[in-house]
Amino acid sequence: MRGHKIAATSVVILGLLVALSFPAQAFAQEPPPPAQDLEKVFPKKPPYSPYANRHFPERVYWGDTHLHTSFSMDAGAFGCRLTPRDAYRFAKGYEITASSGQPARLSRPLDFLVVADHSDGFGFFPLLFNGDPKITADPQGRRWYEMLQNGQGAAVAIDIVTSFGKGAISKAILPVPGTVAYQGAWQEVIKSADEANDPGRFTAFIGYEWTSNTGGNNLHRNIIFRDDGSRARLIEPYTTQKPLGSDNPRDLWKWMSGYEEKTGGHVLAIAHNGNLSNGRMFPIIESFTGKPIDREYAETRALRERLYEVTQIKGDGEAHPFLSPNDEFANYERWDKGNLDLSEKKKPEMLEFEYARAALRNGLKQEQELGINPYKFGMIGSTDAHTGLAAIDEDNYWGKFTTSEPSPQRATHPLIKTENGTIMGWEETASGYAGVWATENTREALFDAMQRKEVYATTGPRMVVRFFGGWDFENRDASSRNPAVVGYTKGVPMGGDLSNAPTGKSPSFLVAALKDPIGANLDRIQVIKGWLDSKGETHEKIYDVVWGGDRKPDPKTGKLPPVGDTVDVPNATYTNTIGASELIKVWKDPEFDPAQRAFYYVRVLEIPTPRWTAYDAKYYGITMPPEVPMKGQERAYTSPIWYTPGK
Amino acid sequence: MKLIREPLLHFILLGAVIFAAFAFFSRNRTDKPGEIFVTEGTLENIINGFTRTWQRPPSQSELRGLVQDYIREEAAYREALSMGLDRDDTIVRRRLRQKLEFLLDDNASRTEPTDAELQSFLEKHAALFRSEPTFAFRQVYLNPQLRGTNLAQDEARLLADLQRAGPNADLSYAGDPFLLAQNFETTSLAEVRQTFGDQFARFLSTLSPGSWSGPVASGFGTHIVFVTQRNEGRLIAEQIPSSGFPRHSLHNIFSH
Repeated sequence: MRGHKIAATSVVILGLLVALSFPAQAFAQEPPPPAQDLEKVFPKKPPYSPYANRHFPERVYWGDTHLHTSFSMDAGAFGCRLTPRDAYRFAKGYEITASSGQPARLSRPLDFLVVADHSDGFGFFPLLFNGDPKITADPQGRRWYEMLQNGQGAAVAIDIVTSFGKGAISKAILPVPGTVAYQGAWQEVIKSADEANDPGRFTAFIGYEWTSNTGGNNLHRNIIFRDDGSRARLIEPYTTQKPLGSDNPRDLWKWMSGYEEKTGGHVLAIAHNGNLSNGRMFPIIESFTGKPIDREYAETRALRERLYEVTQIKGDGEAHPFLSPNDEFANYERWDKGNLDLSEKKKPEMLEFEYARAALRNGLKQEQELGINPYKFGMIGSTDAHTGLAAIDEDNYWGKFTTSEPSPQRATHPLIKTENGTIMGWEETASGYAGVWATENTREALFDAMQRKEVYATTGPRMVVRFFGGWDFENRDASSRNPAVVGYTKGVPMGGDLSNAPTGKSPSFLVAALKDPIGANLDRIQVIKGWLDSKGETHEKIYDVVWGGDRKPDPKTGKLPPVGDTVDVPNATYTNTIGASELIKVWKDPEFDPAQRAFYYVRVLEIPTPRWTAYDAKYYGITMPPEVPMKGQERAYTSPIWYTPGK
Repeated sequence: MKLIREPLLHFILLGAVIFAAFAFFSRNRTDKPGEIFVTEGTLENIINGFTRTWQRPPSQSELRGLVQDYIREEAAYREALSMGLDRDDTIVRRRLRQKLEFLLDDNASRTEPTDAELQSFLEKHAALFRSEPTFAFRQVYLNPQLRGTNLAQDEARLLADLQRAGPNADLSYAGDPFLLAQNFETTSLAEVRQTFGDQFARFLSTLSPGSWSGPVASGFGTHIVFVTQRNEGRLIAEQIPSSGFPRHSLHNIFSH
């Protein structure tokens, strides 16, 4: 049997490697025993049980790495009353009452959740709302509390958020690291996570968001802890306000090293919303110094930021039509009017430093110049909801803020409005989740999977996506009854590396996707390749690899015809009569040049389905303005596999 | 005279004396409109409040000031009440509600539920205290898109083949390629539901170990299933123990 032969070969190879790696002079250790003795320890025959010695991830775990609760100053100000405890409970699948008073529940529980509240102003709102004596003893705090009690919540919210932005909140009540109020909030976050954490069933990570936002330019990062409270309690979150904090990611990375040195624990950082950074998220020239990024920046970023949150409620950040004019699917849930608070308009030249695909390309270029790739990241999706509710299914979408929880008005009310433009409620994107290929549902296993980038992003549907790269995949591997076994045996999974191309060989990839068990069929799987040519220019190309139905690519343009459309907008329904429930194929790069750096990642497209605005229109019996999109093609993006020429 | 010995008369007379005395002594005490009396009790309250804050009793002049303030407050309070300012006021309503809730909460948390109450709660909400059922199973998948109109026929043949081959059937080439495993070790029903959908999970929970069954539809296609092992979820506690962990957790859930 094929699987056994592969396993047998790899055991022999392993034996050889072990034997070869014991040169007596290199180690101050014993000389190796004779080979025939070693063979007894490394049996030639694989074990009878095909499942023994097989500990690769068999299941994808679903979660949200980016959820806010009332502990975030803005979320609290905009009406969120749910706490981290409530958020974990909701993610576990329990029905709870949303801050707007409506009952809410997920279609299916999530497997993990990170409550990531803003570290600046942490826990301020619950204190204020409960009339904490420390708050009401201060004249400003007293005034806000009384306004709240008089039903002037909206005015308070605006006053607090503007005062915070201007640094005009009284020192006595501003929760900053070192104060009792701040430490209390952090302890509560840790306690909530530790209590909700249920190894094997549900993982509750400790985390927070570092919200660098100078000039309204989004450089936010979420910090996730591998550890429990016994370590996290030894520190306080890093903030952005001077003198305790900093808005420069380099200082955050120092804080991360500091935590690891002090406690022996581990943290990771995930950036998001490059689309609202106005050209600063993936810099070639650092905005803080005006100088080109150096090797230290590249090294530290590659070490600290192994993942990027590529899709969320504030827009999709994979690709932009201006950068990828030939990509017919690039124009998806676009937010490109300006920076986060729309205080500055977007200019086209900023886009290259904002979108994931462009950053992956620039990363290859930087690697050539600096010797290390700062933008070698895997991809996940998350919500960034400020409601305590990680609910972004199109038919169960609970909005960005409490003010955009389901209501007949939410789509047609402006979300952000300045003289530079308006972002309407309907522009909110019901997206996304993180899929993690881990060996078990624990903090340690999920964290380690994130660090090796064996993860992917979806805009909401929970489709299973596998992506392996190697040199020896053959067409018949796609008809194996258990593709994962072949994948792990012959190649590297998503997030992995290929190097040293065997002479005359091109990399081959095993790609497979299975629809969400309660969701829509799949349209197609694409491989997106980016590479650096010998002149130092980067390129990208999109390959349709496998698709549902008997469509043929146009012989002239090579374009695959659209899958079709079964969406009934007025009734907010669709049918799975088009597309495929499962797609699998082995794909070989037809234009491989072993001398060129390259990356490959997979994009899976669903058939068109109703957008959340269609479900809103149906439920509330309202007519949306003509500019509101009512359907879309949801998708998944995997972490890339990189090819680096050997030395 | 019999009348003099009548206890009822004693009672009435005594009562009359008490009422008269009360009326006499308290003739200046009843607050009439426009009058405010500062009683001993009130005075004591004022002094105690001051002492708690300042760690010493008030001086004569301080006390005079405090009493003046009390009188002003009382006057304003009565005036406000008579004007009906307490009605339709959010803060007053909220404060009253808060006081009542404090009172109720305090009472509720002080009463220890009886064994009988806990027992009936346990019986009514048994699902809360049941560990989840788990299954170990093998499954073979058929892809409706590949099988087309032959699907029903192929399902029947596959089922028959597998039943013939028995529990240790070699599945290497059975059915169609599928991204999910053919062999699932101990898996909770919730996890099965997450992976295969509700219909499949419900079907699985009706099966007993030891035979190939199906076909059952999932969101992906159809499956033939063999349950190798099933563990029923069990009630962690059926009887209310007098102490210890189950009682404690039951109590917690009950109180909430």
